[in-house]
Amino acid sequence: MSATLPERAPAFPGDIVQQLEATWRPESGLLGWLRSVNHKSIGLRYIVTAFVFFLLGGIEAAAMRAQLARPEATLLGPDAYNQFFTMHGTTMMFLFAVPVMDAIGLYLVPLMIGARNVAFPKLNAYGYWVYLFGGVFLYVMFFLNTGPDTGWFSYVPLAGPEFSPGKRVDVWAQTITFTEISALVAAVEIIVTVFKNRAPGMTLHRMPLFVWAMLVQAFMVLFAMPWIATASQFLAMDRLVGTHFFNPAEGGDALLWQHLFWFFGHPEVYLILLPGLGFVSSIVATFTRRPVFGYAAMVLSLIATAFLGFGLWVHHMFATGLPALGESFFSASSMMIAIPSGIQIFCWIATIWAGRPRLAVPLLFVLGFVIVFVIGGLSGVMVASVPVDQVVHDTYFVVAHFHYVLIGGAVFPLFGAVYYWFPKVTGRMLDERLGRWHFWLFFVGVNLTFFPMHQLGLDGMPRRVYTYLAGMGWDNLNLLASVGAAVVAVSVAIFLANVAVSLRAGAAVGDDPWGADTLEWAASSPPRPYNFAFIPMVESRTPLWHTPGPLPAAAGLRTDVQEVLVTTLLDAEPDSRHRHPPPTIWPLVAAVATAVTFIALIFTPWGIVIGLPLLFAGFLGWAWPRGRDHEEQVRVERQPRPQESVP
Amino acid sequence: MREAEIVADVSGLPTTTFGHRSMMWWGTLGYLIIEGSTLVISAGCYFYLRKNFSTWPPEHVFRPGLTAAAIQAGLMLVSNVPMATVDRAARRLDLRTVRTGMVICSVLAVVMCIVRTFEFGALHVRWDTNAYGSAAWATLVTHSTLLLLETVESLVFTALLFSPSMEQRDLSGAVDNAVYWYFMTLAWLPLAAVVFLSPYLT
Repeated sequence: MSATLPERAPAFPGDIVQQLEATWRPESGLLGWLRSVNHKSIGLRYIVTAFVFFLLGGIEAAAMRAQLARPEATLLGPDAYNQFFTMHGTTMMFLFAVPVMDAIGLYLVPLMIGARNVAFPKLNAYGYWVYLFGGVFLYVMFFLNTGPDTGWFSYVPLAGPEFSPGKRVDVWAQTITFTEISALVAAVEIIVTVFKNRAPGMTLHRMPLFVWAMLVQAFMVLFAMPWIATASQFLAMDRLVGTHFFNPAEGGDALLWQHLFWFFGHPEVYLILLPGLGFVSSIVATFTRRPVFGYAAMVLSLIATAFLGFGLWVHHMFATGLPALGESFFSASSMMIAIPSGIQIFCWIATIWAGRPRLAVPLLFVLGFVIVFVIGGLSGVMVASVPVDQVVHDTYFVVAHFHYVLIGGAVFPLFGAVYYWFPKVTGRMLDERLGRWHFWLFFVGVNLTFFPMHQLGLDGMPRRVYTYLAGMGWDNLNLLASVGAAVVAVSVAIFLANVAVSLRAGAAVGDDPWGADTLEWAASSPPRPYNFAFIPMVESRTPLWHTPGPLPAAAGLRTDVQEVLVTTLLDAEPDSRHRHPPPTIWPLVAAVATAVTFIALIFTPWGIVIGLPLLFAGFLGWAWPRGRDHEEQVRVERQPRPQESVP
Repeated sequence: MREAEIVADVSGLPTTTFGHRSMMWWGTLGYLIIEGSTLVISAGCYFYLRKNFSTWPPEHVFRPGLTAAAIQAGLMLVSNVPMATVDRAARRLDLRTVRTGMVICSVLAVVMCIVRTFEFGALHVRWDTNAYGSAAWATLVTHSTLLLLETVESLVFTALLFSPSMEQRDLSGAVDNAVYWYFMTLAWLPLAAVVFLSPYLT
């Protein structure tokens, strides 16, 4: 750092704020929207898109429950049902759960660490467009009756060229490729932003637990996604150009697919879960008015979960006839993952126990999470046991288990997070009364839907059947589950109504309506495009509680061009100033080129010949430092600095 | 927005940094982890599929030729010398040496792409012959995407170095590019051993 000012200067000279407003003003109109590289703009559209996919996946679930409510129903035929459950799983896992968590991270992490944007704003925009195109492509194909129909894990040989002719599986494989890219982009964004853009003084051991959760999750994405990327490309090549990775007749191996898929697929559960745990930590601290108990234990538990998460994949394959020693190892490791999860649960309970809990809607969802997730964890310990797994494999018991884990571990915290951060994003509160209706109906509905499935599984009902005969003893429990699904649908409708009403008529709030401790609550509600007029200097793990008055801050970033501060990895010492890129259309162009290439590759290997020049043009336009905005930026930078930048 | 008390001034900080001080360096590292993982997975699949065959290569398939692979390995190894020169020159803001070094590296990258086409031929098997062919091609194709990407990046970056809009901060990009180059070339050596040498061990 060049110098520390001898005296504390007055806050926010008006001309600085005015200049920042002018320099960071978002472009207007459709073109401005398409060119935006601001993390809040991108994050928000990511979140909205993910929730649209959540609704689509929910509609598919509702249709399946309607079909199964009574024996031998005819609402969905077998072919449509296959597509519906595949679309439901693919949508919820690839288009909703991971993206929505990344999206909230991309929105919140820069605010929580006192940064002005993510590390690579253009790449962030590219990741969103690729995700959007992948999701839209999947649903267009679904409406054209070419939706994938081999399940969200698309096992071979069923998904191979012999048993699944046509393009349905190719659509699945290529959709996965789109979502892999966006997830990997988000992971790199979050890692580098957290490493290099933290506010001065925010050492690693002062980072909010949510930021830790996103950082660990991002590393998991980095190591997990290449497995599914490789697997889906091998599958696509088996189908398109006749390779034999999964064809036993020519030395290929069907089990290779399962290894590759589940080495990604099991960590995927924790990719979804870890941000949820981060939400819970933020909410628990705020609504008990005390820091989460056991910070170091919480961080180490997150890291331990990530490591152990990579050592469990074979428990999805207990029914494939693996050697007994391997089964024992993976059985033990599957049970071991309960330890870090348990540590975190106990830390939250200790925090709530010792604090003054205020039962607002976000905390209600946290309590719901604890109950539902613990039930899912307990059934998880059961299916981690090889003999139990052999009995309930591919039955509704497993469906019950993973819905408890995923809805409990991710959706409950997610709804809590929406109620918690909605006022920060919009400047308005969500209605508390509607929120309580939403919570209770959702809690009851989820348990009503999924708890009976444990018994259905034990009674022998296999998953993925489009109907069943009367007299199997499954009628009443299925009807009960379907009634539960209807209750869930009502609760989600209440949530949507709450959002719609509150956006217009919710109570207006100030910067920190909850009295929270982390830096995002020091920004305006909604935050300005530059987040903070001055970069906060962090002196504590709970900066807003530690400093109730004006926050210590650093000045000296340019206000006449967009500039961000880069800090050191461990101690967050100010290290350099970095030019922030101006808005640009090129990430969108590059994403279009990517989409054209991937979609063409479904139909012909020559797609690569079509795609490569497009990709080259797209990325050249992106990287080449030309354009009016860039020239203007350089011109301004070469002028003498205005005096007001350092008060 | 919460009021602030200004206690520090960052206006004197540099705008050009190198290596781990630069954000792009960390972004490049993230990309290397992703690409490194795909290379390891491809090689892992190669060995996983090997257990399904009694001989390797399978019967009626010739072992791969070694000439092109040996030339490629030598080129990749040697190319690190000019790239290391670029790396060091960029850090001391020596634009002239960076330009010269990048021209040499760009030419080398193009030559490596040409040699790569011969390496595919030297596999002596098609991708659709059997799983051995599929695995060998997959490993080679995966690395070729890295090679192609690095070639394009080097050519574009070299062009930028000679363009009027070249800035001092672009030299930081030379260091990041060097990291990627080291990875791409050195990762090929074990992969070449897997694809071209391991069939001779059975």
